[in-house]
Amino acid sequence: MNSLYIARESMIHRLDPRTKILFVLFIVISSFLFKDPAMQLILLIGMFPLVLLSKLVKQYLMSMQFLMLFVVLIMTIHGIYNPIGETPVFEIFGGLTFKYESLVYASVMSFRILVIGTAAVIFVMTTHPSDLAIALMKWKVPHSIAFMFLSTFQIIPIIAREAKIVMEAQQARCLDVKANIFERVKHLVPLFAPLFIITFVKVHQLSYVLECRAFSRNGVKTSLRETKISSLDYMFISGMLVLLLTELYLSFAQQISLTTSNLLVSSLFAVWAVFFIVIVKFVYKKVSVFIGG
Amino acid sequence: MSNRDAIVVENLTFQYPDTETPVLKNIHFTLKEGEVLGIIGRTGSGKTTLAMCLNRLVPTVIQGNLEGTISVFGQDISQRSVADMADKVGFVFQEPENQLSQMTVEEEIAFGMGNLGISREEMKYRIQETLKQVGLEGFEKRSPLALSGGQQQRLAIASVMAMRPSIMIMDEPTSMLDPRGKNEVYDVLRKIKTYGMTGVIIDHEVERMASYCDKILVLDDGEVIMFGTPKEVFSELTLLHEMEMNAPQVTELADRLRKELQIDVGSPITVEEAVKAFQIVSIK
Repeated sequence: MNSLYIARESMIHRLDPRTKILFVLFIVISSFLFKDPAMQLILLIGMFPLVLLSKLVKQYLMSMQFLMLFVVLIMTIHGIYNPIGETPVFEIFGGLTFKYESLVYASVMSFRILVIGTAAVIFVMTTHPSDLAIALMKWKVPHSIAFMFLSTFQIIPIIAREAKIVMEAQQARCLDVKANIFERVKHLVPLFAPLFIITFVKVHQLSYVLECRAFSRNGVKTSLRETKISSLDYMFISGMLVLLLTELYLSFAQQISLTTSNLLVSSLFAVWAVFFIVIVKFVYKKVSVFIGG
Repeated sequence: MSNRDAIVVENLTFQYPDTETPVLKNIHFTLKEGEVLGIIGRTGSGKTTLAMCLNRLVPTVIQGNLEGTISVFGQDISQRSVADMADKVGFVFQEPENQLSQMTVEEEIAFGMGNLGISREEMKYRIQETLKQVGLEGFEKRSPLALSGGQQQRLAIASVMAMRPSIMIMDEPTSMLDPRGKNEVYDVLRKIKTYGMTGVIIDHEVERMASYCDKILVLDDGEVIMFGTPKEVFSELTLLHEMEMNAPQVTELADRLRKELQIDVGSPITVEEAVKAFQIVSIK
């Protein structure tokens, strides 16, 4: 497969791409509405059923691993060193103290990353690139821009293959690709210059091909894949609207704050624990490959 | 076969902006509907440019100075754009991979039809039809990048055929392929005539062109040196050799037999013709 899309038979997959674009927007807006980590956490947990529905739990967790790195760094470094912190909540060795205000700041930021990341992952993994292009066209996005989205997915594997060919060709001409890091940086030029030229030539030729397939022809365009807004989409959109209004009410009319220092400390521990598991898994994999190989 | 003129080229001269001399000089030829024209010539003789003139890639997309007129089915095409011509004149390029832009085989074929605004039902019908014509049934959901070179080129042909052009132009469709891929593509090319299409094919494989082209056009340095049936063209061996080109091997063989062993078998251009000619000689 050339894209991040993973085919499954699920409710989320069946949603119109436009609904899913709105969903991502809705999540971004709501995560910026709240300055309360507890609410962000509720958003995050609230999205998990959607992941379950899309039957992509494993792939979702895999892609979240990378975000965990940021989250751990933000939580730890901001929690200790951010100057806005005043009230100490938790002390580790050496007099390094996590402060309440800085932890709030850090956890809002890191949960925001997770929340938006989750929405983006759900969107990307459940939306076929062609459907996205079609949906964009229905929103009167110009044909050429919609096509750009689509062809990006297609050109990446081609470039990757060309890169391999260029690399082998230059190696055959005594370019040492296994030299030390500084030498290798110097070697990027003989690798990337031909690669860029090849890519430009290919894209140029593709533009002729597209022209021959009537790409810039005026008039109605049709497509093989069908995307249409069903009752499920209306339900989803109205659900989002209701939630958005509730969120607006909660964040403006009522200054709620569910955050306690206990919650902050436990989420810090949770983040550490998850990160630790990820690290252990990673090390285990490396070691098992090492032993096995 | 009807007698309508599919392509009429008159006084065609074309010059690229950054060159001193024109790449095509005063070209004339007429191709009837349903005929297959083979264009042969040395590298740089202007074969591709001539082919691109026929669907307006030259001079609308690839800029240059074009003089003369080209008519397709009686209509002057000098005011048309490439996209406009796409449902009349289909173009298959040399590299298979560069012609593919979609995620799956069926979408690849549907892409051109989508630009023409063809309905979904018709699309589905034509996808099945063209996949059958090129022998790629069952590959609908595959990624075009996961096909072999020959399959990719057949897919490119299928995507052009799905747009139902009356004229099919192929610019060295098999030069990037291995022998097996070449055979696969030629099997498809052979059928083009039976679908009532007019074809223009550029290639170096004179043996194959001799067997299925109705007309051969020899281009050298932008000028038409010869234009006629394969029989007429390939019997002018000296002229071909002057331009570093060859006739089919059987024609060359017949020529050498005549010159060196004084056995006259005429000038057959295909293996079948050669066999017949030898039969007659051996009976004598």
